[in-house]
Amino acid sequence: MRKILKHMSIAAAVFSLMFVLTGCGGSKGELRILSGSENQELEAILEKCEKETGVDIQMTYQGSVDIMRTLKEGGGGYDAVWPASSIWISMGDEQHKVKYAESISTTPVVFGIRKSLAEELGFTQKDVSVKDILAAIDEGKLKFCMTSATQSNSGASAYIGFLNAFLDKEGVITQEDLEDQQMQDELRKFFSGVERSSGSSDWLKEMFLESDYDAMVNYECLIISANKTLTERGEEPLYVVYPYDGLSIADSPLGYLDHGDQEKEEAFLAVQEYLLSEEAQSDIEATGRRTGYGGVSEENKEVFNSDWGIDVDRILSPIPMPDAPVLLAALNLYQTELRKPSLTVYCLDYSGSMYGEGMEQLLDAMYLILDQEEAGQYLLQASSREVDAAVLFDDTVLDMKEVKEPTSEDLMKLYDWISDYPMGGGTDIYNAAIEGLNILRQYDLSEYTPAIILMTDGQSNGMSDFDDFKAAYDAAGLDVPVFSIMFGNAEESQLEELAEYSNGRVFDGRDDLVGAFRSVKGYN
Amino acid sequence: MKKTINPRLLGLLLLIVIAAGTGIIYQMTAGKKEPIRLTGYLGGEKIGFIEDEEVQEILRDQYGIEIDYSKAGSLDMVILDQEGMDYLFPSSQTALEYYRELKGEPAKSEIILNTPIVLYTHKIVSDVLEEQGIVSEEDGVMYLDMAEMARIITEERSWKEIGLPELYGNVSIDTTDPAKSNSGNMFAGLLANTLNGGVTVDEEALPRILPQLQEVFDKLGYMETSSSDLFSQFLKMGVGAKPIIAGYESQLLEFAVEQPDDFAKIKDDIVMLYPSPTVWSTHIYIALTENGEMAVDGLLDPQVQELAWEKHGFRTSVYSAATDTSGFGVNGLAKDITRVMQMPDYAVMRQIIDSLQ
Repeated sequence: MRKILKHMSIAAAVFSLMFVLTGCGGSKGELRILSGSENQELEAILEKCEKETGVDIQMTYQGSVDIMRTLKEGGGGYDAVWPASSIWISMGDEQHKVKYAESISTTPVVFGIRKSLAEELGFTQKDVSVKDILAAIDEGKLKFCMTSATQSNSGASAYIGFLNAFLDKEGVITQEDLEDQQMQDELRKFFSGVERSSGSSDWLKEMFLESDYDAMVNYECLIISANKTLTERGEEPLYVVYPYDGLSIADSPLGYLDHGDQEKEEAFLAVQEYLLSEEAQSDIEATGRRTGYGGVSEENKEVFNSDWGIDVDRILSPIPMPDAPVLLAALNLYQTELRKPSLTVYCLDYSGSMYGEGMEQLLDAMYLILDQEEAGQYLLQASSREVDAAVLFDDTVLDMKEVKEPTSEDLMKLYDWISDYPMGGGTDIYNAAIEGLNILRQYDLSEYTPAIILMTDGQSNGMSDFDDFKAAYDAAGLDVPVFSIMFGNAEESQLEELAEYSNGRVFDGRDDLVGAFRSVKGYN
Repeated sequence: MKKTINPRLLGLLLLIVIAAGTGIIYQMTAGKKEPIRLTGYLGGEKIGFIEDEEVQEILRDQYGIEIDYSKAGSLDMVILDQEGMDYLFPSSQTALEYYRELKGEPAKSEIILNTPIVLYTHKIVSDVLEEQGIVSEEDGVMYLDMAEMARIITEERSWKEIGLPELYGNVSIDTTDPAKSNSGNMFAGLLANTLNGGVTVDEEALPRILPQLQEVFDKLGYMETSSSDLFSQFLKMGVGAKPIIAGYESQLLEFAVEQPDDFAKIKDDIVMLYPSPTVWSTHIYIALTENGEMAVDGLLDPQVQELAWEKHGFRTSVYSAATDTSGFGVNGLAKDITRVMQMPDYAVMRQIIDSLQ
């Protein structure tokens, strides 16, 4: 026995030496975690965790509905899940693969409102209800941003809160409640006050910081994070409002996906143990998340700044979540009826280089959106009042088509038209985007969530350049994001320029075009 | 990021790996044979017990087994795919009866652990309930009048009305899904008995009770599927999120032993309420295979049973010999569980489960 021990300790010494040599994790294998986007803020802590545990952590960020779907299918190639709320594990883990799920931190879903506006509305002086907020929206005093209720946990939680408030219910909502026409009409009106939507909470915060909106619905921790940036810039912070009749709490559970691999299991447990250790919990708390059992610790008190309306002593009394079938029905109702309808122009690259795999992937992606049965699987169905347009381009605009208030059949026809269209020559993304703006200009954009979605695989080498786009964008005077999905040899810097100017975003479709496409759709 | 390793060092490394390998082979030939690895479905509340290193060591060294598991609710596990599974370890007699109904007599079944159903709440809630005469103290133990509690819930009284304006919504008790998990299921049985005037519900009484019971559960909305998840949310999310939950007595006892520092922080706020009367949760091990049968003796090993009480709070055969409750440092822990009633029988529970699905 002693002999073995000796060998073992030498082996251990060598391993730790290798660890030093390689400089970062990996010696204990890799842990692939499928996580909600709000955890992007924990990356510094995860790096520390890699150093402490020797486990190489690979994070993939998805919305909660996608995480639920992945779980339903058995968890894909992931070793662990880390959604915003345990409700998505309960609803998704039909195959019972999740083990050791434990909450890492909690944070409530709240309204963050520009402080002076919150004061003006009287929200800093009293307990505020969702109904008070609705009244302010109704009077045109408040507009806000939120994430998609069907793609993101914070959006879904807030939406259920709104439903309760509109139904004037203190108890749990039922299937019958969802059919209430008056509630539907009111909520539709309410969602028309949404300025911008987003597929994920973290990106909502980023987008918020790049613009000058009044308010957003987001996690308390992300409002804290936004406020840090705002105060650094010398700008006005957001004031946190906890609506007492529509509050929910995200409990951020990290669970292991058991595929029968002992080493992965050990790696997972090491990571989880570290994240629940006193040191890591304090680091996590310092990011504005609530941890542990005894309230906020002395050392992090300042993070939860009461000048921002943050109140850690307040008893957070969330509304009850409906059970799974009602919740899913509610989400479908949002997607197809209640959300602000989208107005989307798809600018699709039909240049010669798309021939082959590129075109196949593009058509797969379009099929996912336009085939309503397929789209329904991802809660990405079209709503009855939305508008979809397609601009097919090479270095010219080849052709375009618009579908207003679409039926499933209309959308399928659009797909057939796209898929039969022959490919052309060079590439001019600016010209295509300008054409997109021209289409959008015909509409009253306040009634829609507008977006241009540009899919391209090449470098723009046509007649127009970024300055042409800028001129057209400024002339149109629209607040429309240009989302780009790049694949093939797309020139990222060109797309980034467009995204930055229009407060949009670039998605990388090189590994998973369909996945990237779904993420984009989550934004409108 | 990766640097190349010096070839000389690589040689050394190789040498050491070979040496270590020899060591392992030495151990395998000289030592015992590999333990048999069992896998099955386990109720979440027993994970701490099954993962206890001391328990594992006894099972491995003295009984030659290692127990792996997938977490599943007590009733859920009966209908889940049991391909390759050696055992089920639910938390109630009902699950065993359910198994018998669907699949016949199992290879073996044995009661391993017991723990009563209790309610957990926070000090501010328990104080108000005491003022309302729903909770009363006896010898330092807090008892909750189930009939009164059921009345308040069915009358849809709000927290505000009973003196807790800090809490939003109506008075309710959070439980796990009674169709999937045992603690919720047993609480449903207990509530049914209560609604039946404190008499165990039989098939004759059931039709009268069911509508009321359904009404109560409809108001709960989304329910967790695991007792351990519910308990951990209760502890972490504060009084607003889960004012009262139904769970097992063992859960707080285990928490106090396993996480003493965390327990110290919440000790004075968490109150354990014994429903009066309550019901016993009997944790029955159901062997599905020959290998599965091997665990029965190990789980009943006196030392394992002692660990089950002292570290995980399950009342076992050991407990009756040594009623020492002081070791946990948990306020209001009853020495004896005396006010107990029978759960409705399987046929009745079956109908209750179906109606709540």
